[in-house]
Amino acid sequence: MAEAGAEELGADVDTGDGFDAAAAADGLQLDLWKRLLGYAFVYKKELAALLGVAFATALLEPVYPLIAKWVVDDVEANGMGASFAWWGGLYLVCNLVMATAVVGLIAFSGKIQAFTSHDIRRQAFANLQRLSFSYYDQRSSGWLLARLTADCNRLTDILAWALLDVVWSATTMLGFAVAMFVMNWRLALVALIVMPIVAWVSAKFRKRILTTARLVRSTNSRITGAYNESIMGVLTSKAFVREQANARDFGQLTRTMYRVSVRNLLLAAVYLPLVLLLAALATNMALAAGGSMLLVGTVGVGTLIAFMMFVRHFFEPVETIGQWFAEMQMAQAAAERVLSLIDATPEIRDSDAVLAAIAAEQDRPSGVRTAIDGGPERITEIELCGVGFAYQNANPVLRDINLRVGMDETVAIVGPTGGGKSTLVNIICRFYEPTAGRVLIDGVDYRSRSLHWLQSNLGMVLQNAHVFSGSVRENIRYGRLEASDEEVEWCAKLAGAHDFIVEMERGYDTEVGEGGGRLSAGQKQLVSFARAILAEPQILVMDEATSSVDTETERKIQQGLKFVLQGRISFVIAHRLSTIRNATRIVVVDGGRIVETGDHATLLAADGHYATLHRQQSLNEATRAWPADRPPGGDTG
Amino acid sequence: MQPTTHPSKSHGLWRLTRGQRLRYGAAVVAIALANVCMLGAPVIAGHALDVVTRRDIAFAIAPLAWLVNGFDEADRFLAYLAVSAVAAVLVTGVGAVFLYLRGRWAAVASESLARRVRDALYLRLHNLPAAFFDNADTGDLVQRCSSDVETVRMFLSSQVVEIGRTVLLLAVMAPLLFARDVFLASVGVCLMPFLALGAFLFFSRVRRRFQAADEAEGAMTAVLQENLTGIRVVRAFARQEHEQERFGVRNRAYRDKLYGVNRLEAAYWGLSDLFCLSQIGLVLIVGSVFMARGGITVGELFVFVSLVSQVIWPVRRLGEVLTDSGKAVVALGRIRHILEAEEESREPAPSIARASGAIAFDAVRAGYKPDRAAVVDFSVRIPAGQTVGIVGPPGSGKSTLVRLLMRLYPIHQGRILVDGLDVREVDRRWLRDQMGVVMQDPFLYSRTIADNLRVARPDAPDEEIVAAAREADIAEAIGGFPSGYQTRVGERGVTLSGGQRQRLALARALLKNPPILVLDDSLSAVDTVTERRILDALARRRGRQTTLVIAHRLSSVQHADRILVMERGRLVQDGVHEELAGAPGPYRRLCEIQGLVDAPEAPRHVPATGGGA
Repeated sequence: MAEAGAEELGADVDTGDGFDAAAAADGLQLDLWKRLLGYAFVYKKELAALLGVAFATALLEPVYPLIAKWVVDDVEANGMGASFAWWGGLYLVCNLVMATAVVGLIAFSGKIQAFTSHDIRRQAFANLQRLSFSYYDQRSSGWLLARLTADCNRLTDILAWALLDVVWSATTMLGFAVAMFVMNWRLALVALIVMPIVAWVSAKFRKRILTTARLVRSTNSRITGAYNESIMGVLTSKAFVREQANARDFGQLTRTMYRVSVRNLLLAAVYLPLVLLLAALATNMALAAGGSMLLVGTVGVGTLIAFMMFVRHFFEPVETIGQWFAEMQMAQAAAERVLSLIDATPEIRDSDAVLAAIAAEQDRPSGVRTAIDGGPERITEIELCGVGFAYQNANPVLRDINLRVGMDETVAIVGPTGGGKSTLVNIICRFYEPTAGRVLIDGVDYRSRSLHWLQSNLGMVLQNAHVFSGSVRENIRYGRLEASDEEVEWCAKLAGAHDFIVEMERGYDTEVGEGGGRLSAGQKQLVSFARAILAEPQILVMDEATSSVDTETERKIQQGLKFVLQGRISFVIAHRLSTIRNATRIVVVDGGRIVETGDHATLLAADGHYATLHRQQSLNEATRAWPADRPPGGDTG
Repeated sequence: MQPTTHPSKSHGLWRLTRGQRLRYGAAVVAIALANVCMLGAPVIAGHALDVVTRRDIAFAIAPLAWLVNGFDEADRFLAYLAVSAVAAVLVTGVGAVFLYLRGRWAAVASESLARRVRDALYLRLHNLPAAFFDNADTGDLVQRCSSDVETVRMFLSSQVVEIGRTVLLLAVMAPLLFARDVFLASVGVCLMPFLALGAFLFFSRVRRRFQAADEAEGAMTAVLQENLTGIRVVRAFARQEHEQERFGVRNRAYRDKLYGVNRLEAAYWGLSDLFCLSQIGLVLIVGSVFMARGGITVGELFVFVSLVSQVIWPVRRLGEVLTDSGKAVVALGRIRHILEAEEESREPAPSIARASGAIAFDAVRAGYKPDRAAVVDFSVRIPAGQTVGIVGPPGSGKSTLVRLLMRLYPIHQGRILVDGLDVREVDRRWLRDQMGVVMQDPFLYSRTIADNLRVARPDAPDEEIVAAAREADIAEAIGGFPSGYQTRVGERGVTLSGGQRQRLALARALLKNPPILVLDDSLSAVDTVTERRILDALARRRGRQTTLVIAHRLSSVQHADRILVMERGRLVQDGVHEELAGAPGPYRRLCEIQGLVDAPEAPRHVPATGGGA
């Protein structure tokens, strides 16, 4: 019972270490590894050198026991007249060649490892930049991160080191075997009779050890997650006096960890002595058989010594091959995931016709006022014709939306949570494409325009304003990379961010920390607002852009906003009605439809959804409650 | 290794090893015995070789020779061979059993210890004061609890044993070799000190290079993570190419660092292989000269070569292992930093189980830094059952009040009383049990929604959970999730919006049904219609508990029994909405800002305002 519970939990928490018992049960999927090998084939020179050196090393390995044999035989035959200097010299030369070869092997494999992992990551990253939001909706960023880090490292580890080990092991074993059979085939048979058993034991144990090792790793990452949660949620745990209960839950996790770790270590504790014992068995069988041959004079003592050395070394490669074989089986799930990420095609992308137009435009001398796809650069009107949208196999989020917005217009989109406001904006920005109807930009379906062109004319401010690590200045400049410092500050002023920025320790050069950790939610919103203004977008989208900003600051922003909105098409989503006051038109979205359209006064007069919304906020009550002795807005002090 | 400044506390870590010390010692003894056995096999084989080459039973090991006494001259050598082979295998077998025992005992001992350390760390983290976490980096703390514990565990389970093994191996081997021939034995070990020293120097020297590669990987991961979490921003500004460049720089830097490390490794393994092989070669060649002179037998040569090649590889590992021990000492210190941090103090719980909810702040002064007070001279009496709104600009000390009330942070001056009891003199757990607090950015556990709600009251029946969800206006949204209340928070596909998280946290606090309910700007992400419904639901509970509502939106507080206005840590206004809105002051200014926009005549006034009135 407890076992099943643990596994179920393990499946929920994606650890990225690729533990997948089902995949491990399958054999090797050769096509998968062939494709991965393709990444190594880019480095042909290193690969060829690697194989060559591995082969040479393998030929050299059997020479060591042979030297021992030759020396012993020489001494047995010639006593002090043996050519010690010659044998010593030979041994030294072999050592030097061997050491050089080892350097080469590791260096070449090391290059293949570092470079292929770089290449795979680069490809995957590039594709991630193309994939549509719908791809991200189905996968957490942690999951994607694990593919490009843990999975990628693991695969290229295997690619580089398994290649090295398997080539080396196989050739070494072959070399040993040939040497043994040439020296004395009967003795060779006796010594090698144990080998199949070693191979079988190795394969069996290695796989089990790996399986439990994965379990240990996934349990370990759950423990790490639990620590993380306990620190992030320390205030909540204290507030609900959860200390004992949490520790109890955690105790079960560490118990599981103890159990799986000990199981894993016990397997290794049985396996290694077992292999040692089998190797001793083989060596001593060679001793007994070889000794009896020596007694009758069919072999020399040198040969016998060489044989016993051969046998001891022979089993090391068997183990290594068994280990990599198991490792590759376990890593297949990871390989599939990484390759699927590289292969995924974005749902939203430029059509062939658009791509052709972009290519044609590149050849032409730079035209005036034309976009990269040859169409007009300016956007003067956006029109939604019967737009509908549904996520995969789900109920429609939007239905039959018709809306036409021209330049200088600001459309406020209001309505209850989950009514489809953000989806509507995402469709306008072509982060999603409508599943019904069309979006026209100046009369042309936006699917026949360049995606990059449209999106580089966007400015977006989102509720969960994301800022990157780096300075405040760098973050604002993200809107337009070539903007001057003056422009950055000008936009920060417009966004109402300038005041708090200059108050910070290093002003615009203050580092905001990872994920903007050193800024408050409101400050992040202001920075991202400044960033959007700097981008000089033709289409400006503000999705709950100032929800965490205090009222006074928000009023400051409102003043700058009038200027910002000029010459653009703007969309504003807000709960706070105060944010909407600059809108030229208000659209009420509820249940995926536009239920009302009009300006503030008309909609209030109509006494529909908007009026209800407005009443419920009931701030107007406040204004009515006390006598307005001065016109509102006049009192700023 | 610094001597610890708190001997009594380091005792705590030592205490965790209780019950496992004997097992651990047994593991070390087992590995010693295993090594003696493993070295025995080549010795037996060496004697057998001599017996058969010289055809002289005098070279045999006495007890084994005794076994073959019964055989006649012709069969005796053959019998001795068989007996030797069986004996060697048996000795190895006994060694294998010891090896298994050492693995078993070391595993159980080190894993038990690791488990205790993990549990102790977890409990300690929960009992540390909130201020501890202000100065700490989450990632760093997690690393101390995970990879540092792992480093120590590895050190105990394999490295200590490995060092013990190598030392014992040398200790057993040295007499065997030196007893046969001092000179040849000296030749057999002459390169070993250099090998171990060289490995040690190499690994301690290149540690920085390894760290640099780790850091390069970390930097690359950081860029990747930022890109993935900020993908919407990247797209919104069509910055894909810029991002690829940014990532490319880190990706290449990591590649080059990794390759650099790999090349260093290549040099190390090549060089140390040269040493190891040369050591074996030296014994072989010098030994064969000895053999030619008649100083040793061929069997003895075999024993020499076998023993040296058996012990040379662990000696090479020794340098690496010793370097790793340095890491373990550092890791241990980092773990201690948590295990020895001061916990929250414990006071006795008062005799009353449930407070009535009366709160009094009496000239309170407090802050996060000693020189900057976040709350100054704050005095307010709140009778049980009252609903109090608290407004004020960001940083005016509103949230600090809540934290002081929960006794998460210390009060510098003055007192806070709950039901007349000084919060500093009652059990913190009792105190926190009296409160249900909803924060602006509430924390939810990565469990099911039902489990998250049950955090407030583990034994709450399903009906009450649903009722609380309804009051917080989240029941409908939960019903819309594919698995309803069994939906896991943060699971792929189902992510909760900010407003949903806030409402879930509210439901959790309501389920607790505490005498004191605190909403710390906890409806900021909720739309006004929903907010209205929630406030109505709360109004129906009025009188059942003392309620503190901190908000930016006036709509959240205007119906409160009383409104407190804070500025710069001080209480500046105190009264009901109508009073405060009627008199000039900060509250009225807030009303004007928020009310201005929404007055029916607002559209007419907009141009005037925009023009800079």
